[in-house]
Parts: sequence; structure tokens; C-alpha cells
Amino acid sequence: MEFLLENILNLVGFLVGLAIGIMSYIGFRNTGSPTLFRLTIAFFSISLGFFVIWTGYMTEDLIIKSGNIERWVQTLGIAIQTVGYFFIAFSHSIKSFFPKSSYFRSVGIFPLFLVSSVQLEHIFRSVSFILLAYGAIETMLSYFENKNKGAISVSVGLGLLALGEFLGWYSFVFPDSIIYPASMIIKIGGLIALFIPVSKVPLTKIKFDEDFGE
Amino acid sequence: MTEYRTHMKIIGDILATTRDDLQDEDGATVTYLIRKANISHSRISTILKTLVSQGLLEKVDNQGSNKYKISQNGREFLQAYYSFTNFADNFGLSI
Repeated sequence: MEFLLENILNLVGFLVGLAIGIMSYIGFRNTGSPTLFRLTIAFFSISLGFFVIWTGYMTEDLIIKSGNIERWVQTLGIAIQTVGYFFIAFSHSIKSFFPKSSYFRSVGIFPLFLVSSVQLEHIFRSVSFILLAYGAIETMLSYFENKNKGAISVSVGLGLLALGEFLGWYSFVFPDSIIYPASMIIKIGGLIALFIPVSKVPLTKIKFDEDFGE
Repeated sequence: MTEYRTHMKIIGDILATTRDDLQDEDGATVTYLIRKANISHSRISTILKTLVSQGLLEKVDNQGSNKYKISQNGREFLQAYYSFTNFADNFGLSI
């Protein structure tokens, strides 16, 4: 069951990330917008992250057959996804999120040394959670400004991914409970919510009036 | 409160004016574009030069004064701009 859910999640994540990444790239090529460039990097990273984990599971299932995915593959995939989440948050001017004082900056780095014994995967999951929650809040705030209904769906999508990451991280406390499968189902829901408004963006060329250009 | 406009949004406003809101068929004067796009003369001069060099606007010499018309490439760019503005809006972002 868990294996099936992992496969569905990673395949959906790969495809949704790829679709949004391609759309962002087309937008960047057409307009030269730096925002669309950041979104391109973000969603190609997310797509690649899911693909790495999916490949890990498929390799394990078809070739290695050890019963468990290599830990480093999962960690690598999650790390690449975290880079993608960073670029989504960065597009919302994440610079203002960091404290300006050099003293606080040094204190901010300190906990990384304190938790160095904790697996890297947990660190990446917790960082992803923060970035996704930030992105979800900023997107929801933008809805209150421009009333674009698509922003609600994207905000809910990012929020569900954040919740999924949190539960995925928290599941190490209760390894064999329903928490981990639940986190995967929530993340699949988040990815679908993320894709709904994007799928409605018209990319067909405009049809001009017949007398245009004369 | 004044709304902050990105460089891309200003370009979009200028192109939209030259497409939808022309004074006459010959095109729009710089003064007209300054008023419609709400932008300073020094800034619009640079932007207009870029838009003409990129083929998005056509410069028409009309009885000693320059007027600007949107080109075919400009129309396609504007359509892409609107599509991807909507796309970025979904993420709460401005292009």
C-alpha cells in the first residue's frame, strides 16, 4: 500500500512539476520575465526531485529487490524538491524573511550544528515545510489583493504540500502508523490543487481581426 | 496608495495603449503615451527605443513628429503577456 502510494505521489509530482515548469519556461521565453524564470527553476527542481525518488523506488522494485529504497536516494530527491520550494518562496521576496542583524544571522546558523546528528532528510523536510507554509500564506494574501480565484487553489495546494511534508517528517516518531500514508495522500491532493488553475491558462494564440495589419 | 508597477507591467501598459487606445490611425505620440502609461519622459524614451529595436513597436514619421504603432510581434507579445500575467497571478506573483 505504502509502495503504491509512494509511486503515485512521485509520478504525479514529477508530471505536475514538469507541466508547470514547461509552462513557466514558455512564459519566460515569450516575455523574459525574471519571475517566470524563478518559477521555471522551482518547478523543474520539484519535478526532478519527485523523479529521483520515483526512479529509486522503481529501481528497488525491479532490480535491487531489497524491500527498502536506498536512503540517500530519498534524501537526494527531497533535497532537490527543497531547492524548488525555496525558489517559490524566494519569488515572494523571501529576503524580508531573514533577520538583518548579523548577531541574529549567526544565531540562525547555530541550530544546524546542534542538529547535525539528525538525518539530513528530516532537516530538508522541515525546511520544505517552512518554505511551503510561507508560499501558501503569501499566495493567500495576494488573493485578498487581486481576488484571483486561482490563487486560492494554489495557496491550498502549497498548504497541503506543507502539511504533507510536516506529517512526513513527524511520522518518524510513529514509523508504522497511518501518518506516513496520510501525508502522501495529502501531498497528492496538494499537487492536484496546484495544477487546477494552471491548467486553465490559455496558451493558444490570439485570432486577430481580419483587417489587422492593413 | 500608488500601485507599484514592474518594468514588465509598464511595457504591457504602453503596448496596450498603442493597440487599444490610439488617438488616430497613424499611431500615438510620445506625449499621449506618457499621459496614458503614466510614466516620465526620460524613462519612456528608453523603453520606446528598446521596444522599437525589438520589433514590438513601429516608429512612424508623421509630419515631423514621431508616432508609435504596435507591430504584429508586439500584438503577439501582448497576448503572451496577458496569458502569463494570469499564470503568475495564480501564484500571487507579478511578472
